[in-house]
Amino acid sequence: MTQLTGLGRLVRLILRRDRIRLWSWLLGLGVVIVASAASLPPVYPDQASIDAYAATVGDNPALMAFAGPGYGLRDDPTIGAILVNEVQLWGAIGFALMSIFLVNHHTRAEEDVERADLIRSTVVGRHAPTAAAVVVVGAANLALGLVCAAGFVATGYETTGSIVLAASLVAVGLVFLGVTAVTAQAASSGRAALGMAASVLAAAFALRALGDVSGNWMRWASPIGWAQASRAFAGERWLPLVLCVVAAAVGVVSAFWLSTRRDLGSGLVPTKPGPGRASPRLTDPLGLAVRLHRGSLIGWAIGLFVAGALYGSIGDDVEQMLEDNPVYQDILVQTGGADLTDSFFASSLLMLSLVVSGFAIATVSRLRSEESAGRAEVVLASGVSRSRWAASHLLVAFAGAAAGMVLSGFGLGLSYAAVSGDSRQIGRLVFASLAPLPAVAALIGVAMLLYGRASAAVVASWAVLAVVSVIALLAEVLRLPSWLRQISPFAHVSQVPAEAISWPPAIGMVAVAGALVAAGMAALDHRDMG
Amino acid sequence: MASCRGLEKSFGPTRALDGLDLELERGQVHGFLGPNGAGKSVTMRILLGLLRHDGGEVELFGRDPWRSAVDLHRRLAYVPGDTNLWPNLTGGEIIDLMGDLRGHIDPARREELIERFELDPTKKARSYSKGNRQKVALVAALASDAELLILDEPTSGLDPLKEAIFQDYVVDARDEGRTVLLSSHVLAEVDKLCDHITIIRQGRTVQSGRLDDLRHLTRSTITAEVSGPVDDLAGQPGVHDLESDGDRVHFGVDGRHLPAVLITLADLGVTSLVSHPPTLEELFLHHYDEEQARDGLPVEAGDGDGDGEPVP
Repeated sequence: MTQLTGLGRLVRLILRRDRIRLWSWLLGLGVVIVASAASLPPVYPDQASIDAYAATVGDNPALMAFAGPGYGLRDDPTIGAILVNEVQLWGAIGFALMSIFLVNHHTRAEEDVERADLIRSTVVGRHAPTAAAVVVVGAANLALGLVCAAGFVATGYETTGSIVLAASLVAVGLVFLGVTAVTAQAASSGRAALGMAASVLAAAFALRALGDVSGNWMRWASPIGWAQASRAFAGERWLPLVLCVVAAAVGVVSAFWLSTRRDLGSGLVPTKPGPGRASPRLTDPLGLAVRLHRGSLIGWAIGLFVAGALYGSIGDDVEQMLEDNPVYQDILVQTGGADLTDSFFASSLLMLSLVVSGFAIATVSRLRSEESAGRAEVVLASGVSRSRWAASHLLVAFAGAAAGMVLSGFGLGLSYAAVSGDSRQIGRLVFASLAPLPAVAALIGVAMLLYGRASAAVVASWAVLAVVSVIALLAEVLRLPSWLRQISPFAHVSQVPAEAISWPPAIGMVAVAGALVAAGMAALDHRDMG
Repeated sequence: MASCRGLEKSFGPTRALDGLDLELERGQVHGFLGPNGAGKSVTMRILLGLLRHDGGEVELFGRDPWRSAVDLHRRLAYVPGDTNLWPNLTGGEIIDLMGDLRGHIDPARREELIERFELDPTKKARSYSKGNRQKVALVAALASDAELLILDEPTSGLDPLKEAIFQDYVVDARDEGRTVLLSSHVLAEVDKLCDHITIIRQGRTVQSGRLDDLRHLTRSTITAEVSGPVDDLAGQPGVHDLESDGDRVHFGVDGRHLPAVLITLADLGVTSLVSHPPTLEELFLHHYDEEQARDGLPVEAGDGDGDGEPVP
C-alpha cells in the first residue's frame, strides 16, 4: 500500500487546516436539519392535521418538484412522511454541497496553488492526498448523519425511519464525494472541478424532479432519486442506499485510476496554445474580468437555461392536476385568485434566483482570489484604480446574474409554450424572471461590502446566502418570526408572474445595493491590499 | 523621485518596517538589499500605494503614493517578486494587457524582448515555469517607456543567459535616463548594475549611499611585503585578521584607519602593496552577519566604521 503512504499524517493536516471550515458545515447543516425536524410535530400535533397536510401536498406536482415523491403521504400518512417530504431533498443537497466543496478544496484546488507539489514531493503515496480527503469528508458525512438521526429520534420520530432518512442523506453526500473526486481529476482547475460537480448536482435534482412529477424512470437516473426511494417512514428499503454507496465507491476508485492517467496540476484535457497577442477586447479591466469569468458564465448560462426549461415542462402537469382536483381549487382561493401555474413559476424563479446569487457571489469572490494570488497588484500597479478594478468584476457579476435570470425565464417560457401551445408565455416569463434581480443586486452589495472591509470576509457572503436560502425555502417549516424573514432581500421580491410587480421595494433594494457597493469601494480604498 | 523617511509599517504585532529610510534620485539604478523578511517588498508595495504606511513619510514623484496611486502608476512599471499570472491567459495576451492598462507599450521593443528572452507568447500562463512567468512580467515592464522601474527580485528563476539579457536592458534603461529600484539577492548583478545601494535589516536602513563610497568606508583587504617586524601592525587600531608569512602580511583594515595604517606600513619599509576594496558580498555579509549586533541602529553613509559596532 505504498500508494497510500502518509495517509494518517495528511488526514491530520486536513483536520488541522479545516478546524473552522469543517465545523461550520457540520454545525450549520446539523442545526438547520434538526431544527426543521423539531419544528414539525408542534405544527401537526394530531392525525387530522397530518391528513390535511397529506391531502394538500401529497399529489401536488408543483410541490413534488421541490420536495419529492411523497411516499407514505397517500395512505396512512404519518408525521415521519411529512418530515421526509419537508427535509429530505434540501438536506440531501446540503450534504452534497458539503462533499463537493470539501473534496475539491483538498484535491484539485490544492494543485492550483501548487501546494500539492510540496506535499507530493515528500514521502507521500500517489493516492494519499485524495484518500485523505475521502476519509475526512466521508467521516464528516457519517458524523453529520449520526447527528441528524439522533436529532430525529430525540424529537420524537420513529427510530427505523429516522435512521433510514439520515442514512439517505449520508448516501447522497457520499455519492457527491465520489463525483467530486472524479471531477477533481478531470477538470483543469479547482474552479472547473467545482463547476462540473455542481452541474452534476443540478442535473441530479432536475432529473428526479422530472421523474417525480411524471412518475417515470427518470427518478432512477438521479442519486437523489435513489435516496428518496429508500422510503423512510414508509416501508423502508435499504437497497437504493446500497446503490448510492456503490456509486460513491466507483467514483473514488475511478478517481484513483484517473490520477494515474494525468500529470499533477493538469487536467485530462491538455491545454492548447492560445493567441500570441491580446484581442482588442482584452485591453482594460472590464475586458480582463469578462475573460476571467467567461468559462463560468457560459457554464452557468447553459445550466440556468436547462433548469428553466425543466420547470417549464412541468408547468402543464400543474395545470392538468388543477383541472381535476377540487383540493387545488381551495389553494387557488388561498393564493388570492392567482393562477396556480403562475405561483409555481414564481417559486421556480425565486429558487433559480438563489442559484444565480451563488454565481454572483462566486464572481465577487474572485476579487479575493485575485488579490491573494498577487494578480490584483499587477493590475493595480499599472494605472487602474481599486474602484475601477472592483467595479469590473461587480459588473460581470450583475450582468451575468441578469443574463442568467433572463435565460432561465426564457427556458421556462419556451418549454412551457411548447407543452401548452401558448407562445405569449415566453415574453411574460422572461419579464417575470427579472423580478428577483434587485435582491440579487443587494447580495452582490453585501459581498462587496464584506470584501471591501477585509479580503477574507467575503467568504461570509456565502453564509449570508445560506441564511437567505433557508429563509426563502424553510421559513414556513421553521416557523421563522416575521422580522427575521423580512431581513432577506428575497422576501421583498414580488411573486411575478403570480402577482404584479411592486416597484417601491424593487427600487429600494437597488438603492440599498448601490449604497452597499459604494461603502464597499470606499472601504477597499482605505485598506492594505495583498 | 522616491523617498522614504522613518517609514513604519506593522501587520498586527509584527513590525515590518521600523524607521526605514530610502532616497531614490532620478537616473539612479538603486540596489535594495536585505535578508529575507527585512521589508524590501513591503517598502515597494508602500511605494506602489498597495499598502498604507503607519508612520514616517513617503513620497513618489513628489506625491503621496497612497492618494495618487493611479496617476503615479502611469509613470512606472512594476515586476513583482513572485509573479502570479492568470492561468488561462497566454503570455502574449498578458503582456499586451499590461501595456494597455499602463497606457504605453513599444511594439518593436515587445517583439525584440520576446525574441531575446525566448518566450513563447502563445502558451497559457498555467503551463509556464517560474522563470517563464518572470519573463512575461519583465517583458511587460521593459517594453514600456515608464520613467521608473520597480523590480522586486526580477531575475529569480531566470537562467544565467536570460539574466545577462536582463542586465543589458537595465543598462539601456539607465542610459536612457530612466530610474530603477532593484531588489535582489544576486550580488554580482547588483554590483554590475547599481550605482547606489541601500541595505536594510529588520525594517531599518543600515547603510545607504553610492556603492563606490560605501566600499571605501568599509574594510579593505591589504596584502603587503615589508622588511620590518609586523608586531607594530598587529596592535594598531582598525586592523583585523592579521596573518603573516615571513615578510608577507595580509590583513583587513577599516576605512577610517587606513591613513594611519599606511604610515605604519611605510615605516616598516613596505616593498609591495596590494589593496582590495571590499566586494559587495563582504559589504553585504558584514551587515547580514550581525547576530551579535543587539540593536542594529541605522548607520549613516559617512559613519560606517566597519566594526559592526552600533554607532552611539
